[in-house]
Amino acid sequence: MLPGETGVYLVMAIISLLSVVAVYMAVKTRDLVKAVIYSALQSGLYSILYFLLLAPDIGLVYIPVAVGLIPGVLLVLISKTERWEKE
Amino acid sequence: MRLVEVIVLISTVLAVALLITVGFEHLVPSERVRPVAEFYLNATYNQYELRNYTAMSPEAVTAIVWDFRGLDTLFETSVFYLALIAGLALTRGLLLERAEKSGHGLSIIVRTVTRITAPMIVAVGASIGLHGHLTPGGGFQGGSVIAVLPMVVIVVFSASFLVIKGVTTTKLLVVRSLGLTGIGLTAIAVFLVGITLHMPAYVFQNMAKPDAQISMPYSVAGALISGTLWFFNIFEMFAVAAGFSIAFIALMLARTLESSRGE
Repeated sequence: MLPGETGVYLVMAIISLLSVVAVYMAVKTRDLVKAVIYSALQSGLYSILYFLLLAPDIGLVYIPVAVGLIPGVLLVLISKTERWEKE
Repeated sequence: MRLVEVIVLISTVLAVALLITVGFEHLVPSERVRPVAEFYLNATYNQYELRNYTAMSPEAVTAIVWDFRGLDTLFETSVFYLALIAGLALTRGLLLERAEKSGHGLSIIVRTVTRITAPMIVAVGASIGLHGHLTPGGGFQGGSVIAVLPMVVIVVFSASFLVIKGVTTTKLLVVRSLGLTGIGLTAIAVFLVGITLHMPAYVFQNMAKPDAQISMPYSVAGALISGTLWFFNIFEMFAVAAGFSIAFIALMLARTLESSRGE
């Protein structure tokens, strides 16, 4: 059985790795809408990290701004230009 | 090329995993608190031993943000307001108030769910904002949660739905300005009382200080409000919620009018 702190660090490690994958997908995908969604996924994982690092204040401001407002603005911007990134 | 990328990615992931799972034994943060943090933790809610330095708020982060380091937050708020003014200047000349009904929005299922969740979003935001001096959160957090609602409504119903319902940018600008005025008045409230009573008092004063014995009431009818902190949080909540909403309505309406002009 793991001690409590080790479990928290393991969860943080897994969340960090998942966020790395999300960032990679956001950078590599050609569909800008999907890139925004991957970016929001990464932000959601980061807000869990903030919570586990005992900074719930930052987590509370990170969720609405990074998952709600910034993707909204970016989607408006994408709708003004093209959805597919060119080579 | 593709294979190289996959190999680089996997090795990066494995390296980070190794670092975090093996290295955490040597990278555990210190359990000891630095002296300045120790002072803040002792003083944030200490009516007896540190009576002249306390903020009377159990939530140390809000106490630092709005009391111990209140001036920083005031300038932060003004930076946000200037950014908003710049954003509004970009959409000037567009008819923001007289938008026509355009589109029918998403399906009736999505619209009904939005109608149900809309009060919940506002309730969560208001709870975060009003309990900012007790639990993690505060004015900015609560306001930005509330600001998600106009964006969802715009996406689900239509770009001009809010303006047709009477939520115009001018009205929101008034709310925003009232919030900022409230923040300014709260900052100088104790100072004004000190001038009227001919007693020494500071701008941004919350609780009594050694050379300025005036203080805001820290509780009303048994409910803790932590003096100025509760007022700062509620005014900031209105200001931030209205500010983000203005930005969204302006952005979406500017798009609608541009496209209709193009046609």
